[in-house]
Amino acid sequence: MATAASHCLLRLYEERHELEDYQSGVPRWCTGCGDNAILAAVQRLCRDEQLRPEKTVFISGIGCSSRFPHYMKTYGFHGIHGRALPVAEGVRMARKDLHVFVNTGDGDCCSIGAAHWVHAIRYNMNMTVFLHDNQIYGLTKMQASPTSPRGLRSNTTPRGSFLEAMQPLTVTLGVQNVSFVAQAVDWIPELLYDIVSAAYRHRGFSFIRIVQRCPEWLPSLFEPWLHDPERVRLLHHEDGIQVSPALARVYRNQEHHNPVDIDRAREIASCIDPIPVGILYRNPQVPCYEDLRATDHLRTTEFIKNGLEAEFDKFTVWPSA
Amino acid sequence: MDATRQARVAFYLTGKRPGAELEPVEGLDLRPALLARYRDLSTLRYDFPLVLLTDGEADTCVRSLSGMVDDALRQVARGEDGERVSKHVLRLEQAIRQASRGKSRSLSARWSEIAAELGPERDALLPDSLDRALEALGSDGEVVDCDGELPGRFVSHIWQTAQTKKARRLHGEIARLVHRVSNILRADLARSEKGRSADALKASLGGLDADAFDFQALSGVLSRTANRTTITAARRSRLEQLIAALQSYNFEPQAFRFTSCSEALAAWRERYPILVGVARAIAMAELEIAGDYREERHDVFFDEYGADGLSPDDIALFADYLVHVSAADMDAGEQAALMEILSSGLPMKILVQKDDILADSAPGQGGQGFARSAPHFAHMALGLNDVYVLQAPASHLLRCSGRVADGIAYAGTALFSIFSGTNGFVGDYPPYLVAAAAAESRAFPIFAYHPSAGPDWASRFSLATNPQPEADWPEHQFDYEDAERHRVSETVAFTFVDFAALDERYARHLARVPSNGRDDAMMPIPKALAVEVEGQPEQVPCTLMVDDQDRLQTVLVDERLMRETRRCRQAWHSIQELGGIHNSYAERTLAEERKAREEAVQELAEPATGTAPAPAAATQPEDAGAEAGQEAAAAIEPEAEPSPDEAYIETPRCTTCNECTQINDKMFAYNENQQAYIADVDAGTYAQLVEAAESCQVAIIHPGKPRNPDEPGLEELVRRAEPFV
Ligand SMILES: Cc1ncc(C[n+]2csc(CCOP(=O)(O)OP(=O)(O)O)c2C)c(N)n1
Ligand code: SF4
Ligand SMILES: [Mg+2]
Repeated sequence: MATAASHCLLRLYEERHELEDYQSGVPRWCTGCGDNAILAAVQRLCRDEQLRPEKTVFISGIGCSSRFPHYMKTYGFHGIHGRALPVAEGVRMARKDLHVFVNTGDGDCCSIGAAHWVHAIRYNMNMTVFLHDNQIYGLTKMQASPTSPRGLRSNTTPRGSFLEAMQPLTVTLGVQNVSFVAQAVDWIPELLYDIVSAAYRHRGFSFIRIVQRCPEWLPSLFEPWLHDPERVRLLHHEDGIQVSPALARVYRNQEHHNPVDIDRAREIASCIDPIPVGILYRNPQVPCYEDLRATDHLRTTEFIKNGLEAEFDKFTVWPSA
Repeated sequence: MDATRQARVAFYLTGKRPGAELEPVEGLDLRPALLARYRDLSTLRYDFPLVLLTDGEADTCVRSLSGMVDDALRQVARGEDGERVSKHVLRLEQAIRQASRGKSRSLSARWSEIAAELGPERDALLPDSLDRALEALGSDGEVVDCDGELPGRFVSHIWQTAQTKKARRLHGEIARLVHRVSNILRADLARSEKGRSADALKASLGGLDADAFDFQALSGVLSRTANRTTITAARRSRLEQLIAALQSYNFEPQAFRFTSCSEALAAWRERYPILVGVARAIAMAELEIAGDYREERHDVFFDEYGADGLSPDDIALFADYLVHVSAADMDAGEQAALMEILSSGLPMKILVQKDDILADSAPGQGGQGFARSAPHFAHMALGLNDVYVLQAPASHLLRCSGRVADGIAYAGTALFSIFSGTNGFVGDYPPYLVAAAAAESRAFPIFAYHPSAGPDWASRFSLATNPQPEADWPEHQFDYEDAERHRVSETVAFTFVDFAALDERYARHLARVPSNGRDDAMMPIPKALAVEVEGQPEQVPCTLMVDDQDRLQTVLVDERLMRETRRCRQAWHSIQELGGIHNSYAERTLAEERKAREEAVQELAEPATGTAPAPAAATQPEDAGAEAGQEAAAAIEPEAEPSPDEAYIETPRCTTCNECTQINDKMFAYNENQQAYIADVDAGTYAQLVEAAESCQVAIIHPGKPRNPDEPGLEELVRRAEPFV
């Protein structure tokens, strides 16, 4: 309940932030890495939404993609492998005033962090999650990840991997309370930006799987898709992504898909070729965990101390007097 | 003219009854025919009594007893014994209704009292029925009937419910701000020398294991290493003042309840500086907490805070005043204070209770005529545009409870003009009936004006709660047996005459026709209003009443009362127009529109002669369509293709992969969206252009033709550039 005056004052003196105000350091990613495109789109989003850097936080796990927070001039938390989401949930719970973003790789999210991922979807806390899916462990120099295509020869699968690749979209859409699922590819920046921005605007757990090229370890994996626009299917809708005329001329493979239709969303999610790009599902009605558990209690020292004491008392063995 | 007719006309014109042809109505205990059924209200199930619930939100904290009982029965009166439970509970409801006349008590107390009275002696299963229903009721509250106290209790209950919530929110908010601001001070203390002293460190650990630490050493380490920046003295004193100012607001809700407009105004003026102080502190604290307070910018602003009045948002944080006044008791000073409040938009909710809407009109009191009652504050307030206004009789309060809650929630002044139905001149008619008759007869129409409900009158003003708002007078079916014991059904209007007839001061404007029948020389009120009479009337107006034996009586009405009735209808018409009913402007426009259309249809029907204008008109849309088509085509026409000779990048498709910028960052640069374009084609060689085109994974770099004919190896480079043309 800020009074009108302080709102006006805040607005009156708010500086405009340019793209450079969100940039930090020179990315250590390889030239041609899809992470660069994601970074560009996200910085653009921050500028266009004029997010206050001190009210914005990027949280990641471990991997090439998880270096993302270093390149944002905002708050950041480069966490531990697979645990970006629990950290982000804690931040969200304690600081509802922050814009929370999560960067995670296919190894980070779908392998070691899979349990956290599934539950984070169910908790539906308000944050925007980017799954940088290059279908490989990049940082550790080419080990197969759960999303690697079957038959991929890597350092851990020298004779080719034996299992079918996991589909992050179908997994996400199968979890209770899912509220926003989209897919983007790093090589169509216009759509990448539109999708990132729709995800940001959704209140809830917004999950975007971004198909990301790794020119170092899988330089030609997406070559066929890159050069044949027919192998990308754009999902468009009045309540979803709208395709610009220029883009529509190149990408003619399109589907009119209403993001409220979860059944069709699940069908689309299981389609690998062509790659569907757009918003598969959105349901703003799903409650956010932080709202369900909201409390008016002030976290005074007293309150925290009493809470802790009560917890400790459960385990204390009192010496008999 | 025969004597009977003469007497009737004379009565109509003068209000006098010279002969025995007409009888006075005094002492006959007549009542309007349409009210015949409502002789004993306590035997009927209707809105009253009400229950002012102790829980609930502002718009749900009042319910009717019958509504609550129905809900409870829906839960418990099921299955085999459902009918028995219903019967018992309805009997109890009936008894509570009777007992509540003039005496209010809590529902639970009343319930047990009556349950004990009805007693298990007569019916062994009664306690079981009642206990089950009582449990299903869920909530408790004061049971109140429709009487002189009701308007005050009703509005005050909703006000109280809203204020309690508002006060809780404000106190919570202030506590939060105090907590956050104190945290800043505390964090500062922890960083200070004092905070890092051995004693402070020891205190922060608590009693356990204190011996295990060397606090002196710890203090030494901390003061050498940790962050030392502390806040300035100016900021510290500002924060301390903020906390004090925030804590200075400690009014109890009861401090905002008044029975006089001037006292409320005086209190407002006295407390205003405190309000400004708190609102200012809240705004400053928000900035401080966000780390956005800049002395050079904000000091000036806050020094003058509230000098030009607080903003409505600021004012809305604090309690709303409740002022309950009686229209009859308001002297000139009070009226002036009321007008001042209304026109200044202060957060005050004013209940003007009217007990007698015909009072000043009583003949012989020096009034010009009838019904020129105390100033119609509600009507005046409508003209101010930003006052929430609700006018309603007490009988309709339950149906208006949402509107009362709206008025209290409205950020500004609200005026509730309520007629209680208790003027003391209506014999033993219950106030409920008098109040309801006032609404029914248009003597006290129901309306609500919500200034922020929308941009126009249609969204702000409502007449919907009135009975049959479209009609001049509400009409009802009236059934009776005539002299030959034939059943007759007739449509009868309830007019202002019927309302006035309840009031003993008006008896002298009525005269009973002894023959008891109606004849051609009489006409019902609505018809009488429709004809303009010059000189002696052919027919005189009459109305139907019943006596204490429920025998139908024909009663004549004199010209004075008819004049008032006409005036009442006139006033109702004005209100109807405000409410969009029979709006004269709209009806006039509609009539013109209709006429124009009819003429157009007629013209079309006439055979076309000579140069026909119609086909010309018909071609127009086609032309327009063609134009629109061209425009649309233009819109999707591709942008001018860049010349294949020039080097360019399809910038919107750039994925920011750094390939090209790493080849030559003078030639290739990123735009404001981090997407590449050719910044300076001459900043590098053609070879670099071609190399960049080849390494770009999305193939959006087009090298064009070489610009320097002397560059070595051109022939080969042009060949390599070919795929990217
Ligand atoms: C607990 C733990 N286990 C293993 C590792 C080694 N490790 C570092 S990054 C990584 C995989 C990263 O792959 P991905 O999440 O796909 O990120 P990418 O580098 O592809 O962006 C692994 C297994 C680690 N850092 N911590
Ligand atoms: S190794 Fe792959 S994922 Fe990592 S930075 Fe290089 S291209 Fe990007
Ligand atoms: Mg990876």
